[in-house]
Amino acid sequence: MELALDTPARLRAVPKTAPSPAPSVDATDADLLVRVAERDRVAFEALYHRYVRSVYGIALRKLRDRQRAEDAVQETFAAVWRSAASYRPERGPAAPWLYAVARNAIVDRLRARSEPPMEAPDLASSEPGPAEHAEASFVAWRVHRALEELPPKEREVVELAYWSGMSQSEVADYLHIPVGTVKTRTRSGLARLSDLLEGELA
Amino acid sequence: MTPGPDFDELMSDADPAERERLRRVHDMLVVAGPPPELPPQIEAGPTLAMTIGGRGARRHVQRRVALLAAAIVVLLLAFLVGYITGNDNKVAGQVLKLQGTAVAPNAQASLRVEDVDPAGNWPMELAAVGLPKLPPKSYYEVFLVRNGKPWAPCGSFVVKNAKVGVSVRLNAPYRLRPSDSWIVTRRQWGESDAGPVVLRPLT
Repeated sequence: MELALDTPARLRAVPKTAPSPAPSVDATDADLLVRVAERDRVAFEALYHRYVRSVYGIALRKLRDRQRAEDAVQETFAAVWRSAASYRPERGPAAPWLYAVARNAIVDRLRARSEPPMEAPDLASSEPGPAEHAEASFVAWRVHRALEELPPKEREVVELAYWSGMSQSEVADYLHIPVGTVKTRTRSGLARLSDLLEGELA
Repeated sequence: MTPGPDFDELMSDADPAERERLRRVHDMLVVAGPPPELPPQIEAGPTLAMTIGGRGARRHVQRRVALLAAAIVVLLLAFLVGYITGNDNKVAGQVLKLQGTAVAPNAQASLRVEDVDPAGNWPMELAAVGLPKLPPKSYYEVFLVRNGKPWAPCGSFVVKNAKVGVSVRLNAPYRLRPSDSWIVTRRQWGESDAGPVVLRPLT
């Protein structure tokens, strides 16, 4: 029973049934979803860890509020658990299905928001429109999910190279590795991401 | 600042097909931006509430928590009532001996506090002897004493014959405390103060 939101009971703490074997790291998202549909909590936890960053990421983008984003994560995975049986592997990969579930949970949160309507601006905004936002959200979803699959050393270099603002030589200094290794790992990471994004995650 | 590494420099020795393939990923990384830092409670793993039915279950959990909270409140109230009642029981049945002051040096009295009734009244019976008959428009008043001061009246009476004595029924419509006490004063109609004390607890 969840007695306090600050310290919610974790699944591992209260196994209701005999623990099922841990899913292999090679298990696809679809494999995990099928197992979740059979009420496999271990698979659910594995799926959670694969996607929680992506879900939280798009929730933050849309809701711009950490607490609401956390609520959206809660709602999303509750919906995944509830609706996993409706996923049909033959109809396509799991990532878009999961994305749709997350998007619905976030939209619900947005609708629940009671903010006064804004006045229409006099000039057209140069900001990206809803379509661009949606596209960027889905790209972020896929990329963040794919990052979870990279070996830690590649992931670390890719994240530093793209989002720390450091040059490759600065990354090399920071990690105490040669610049050549930074380049190698970055290219290797990009190649692996490409495979992932063009494969199941596409 | 252009986000990400210099792609051309990074891929300077790659063949065009590989370049093109990785360019798409590079662009996607730039568009995606960094993944968020997860709050510890999110990073810790899924919660039980997620697997017992989502929103409905969450409400169910919240309802159970509310029921639990209500039960705790009831228990606390019961404890409080018990505590008060326990203290009340210390009051009920108490017989307070009173002795006359200089105003009525031969007076004596006993005040018996009975059990509180369901409405919260404390019936009392005062038996007094040696109280002088008062002049017209004067009477005796029983005061509840709290924190050393006359706190509230509990009833008044008159005496017709000092030798015979008097027994009167009184009432304290207050929540009594074990430390409460009583005095008897002499009052006159129309006066606002409690008047001089004629009987006080025997120390």
